[in-house]
Amino acid sequence: MKKITYILAGFALFAAAVPVQAHFQMIYTPEMALKEGAKIPLALVFSHPFEAGHTMDMGKPEEFYVIRSRGENEPQRTDLLKTLQPITWTSLTNSGKAWETEYSIRGGDYIFCLVPEPYYEAEEEAYIKQETKLIINGGGEPGAWMDPVGLAVEIVPLAKPYDRWVGNVFQGRVLANGKPVAGAEVEIEYLNHEPMLDKKAFAKKAAVEAPQDAFVLQTIFADDNGVFTFGIPRAGWWGFAALDLEPDYTYKGKKCSRDAVIWIKAVDMK
Amino acid sequence: MMLLAFLLSFCLIATQAWAHTPLCSCYDNGDNTVTCEGGFSDGSSASGVNMRVENKDGSVLSDGQMSDTSEFTFDKPEGGYKVIFDAGEGHQIIIDSSKIVE
Repeated sequence: MKKITYILAGFALFAAAVPVQAHFQMIYTPEMALKEGAKIPLALVFSHPFEAGHTMDMGKPEEFYVIRSRGENEPQRTDLLKTLQPITWTSLTNSGKAWETEYSIRGGDYIFCLVPEPYYEAEEEAYIKQETKLIINGGGEPGAWMDPVGLAVEIVPLAKPYDRWVGNVFQGRVLANGKPVAGAEVEIEYLNHEPMLDKKAFAKKAAVEAPQDAFVLQTIFADDNGVFTFGIPRAGWWGFAALDLEPDYTYKGKKCSRDAVIWIKAVDMK
Repeated sequence: MMLLAFLLSFCLIATQAWAHTPLCSCYDNGDNTVTCEGGFSDGSSASGVNMRVENKDGSVLSDGQMSDTSEFTFDKPEGGYKVIFDAGEGHQIIIDSSKIVE
């Protein structure tokens, strides 16, 4: 009987782990720290960034907006949902429905926030909803990058996300409904295949090769205050996904993993 | 004693801004006005910083201060000009009109 219980527990663990493995909601634009104001392209793609693998179909997002803050000015929110145009994004193994838009920025911080429609993972009979933040800066004058934006689940940076040299650490605090999530599981992936916005596809060439599968998707647990720390080993984009932050959350009567994602881009010191 | 406290507080206020890099960018609004946004690299406000618009020979076309939201808007002059963000000696930024685009 004991043996069966173990087997069942093993299955349950397996089932719980699989739906969230390596899925990353991306808000992609080539640069995070712009020297000056510019019109920037943005692509919303739900994929597996290290391997440029299976790209999931995105539904129409529930919310997509930007919060601009500069210096001590009050942050200002602009809705961008209506600006989204549907596109098809090509991975190395398939194509999936995605979205694109562009936005003119001036100076200061621009926090792009995406609340996607939950994605149904049929094999697991469960949904995934990754509420995602991307913080862009124009000109170097900071704004309110360190403040929560009020998403139901979010990662709030404790280190300025757009000033990270390679070798620095990135720290974030995981929040669910405004409160720190002690021991939150955070998965980390490197954007290993350059997104080519003109072709709406990942580049075939990988930047690095993982010596073993564990390195594709790194894992860190947050401490008792919901804070995690990651040493940045390489220049480029890194995605952080804090998983299943509201374990009882459901969507259309089924389990829904409510995840918080943030992206940073580190730069070589040279 | 009061005077010392006053001087000390002034020194602290001033240092906060001076210890960091001044930043200013100007944008052509496309309606014959130009808006400059200023600040400091530590996120402190540039409200009250003197702003000046000069033509090529140095005569002043308009002047004023950065607003409460660290902005300064002026009518776009004919021909070339430059904008001076003047936060005190050693903390000036001069922006040529050729660098000011929409």
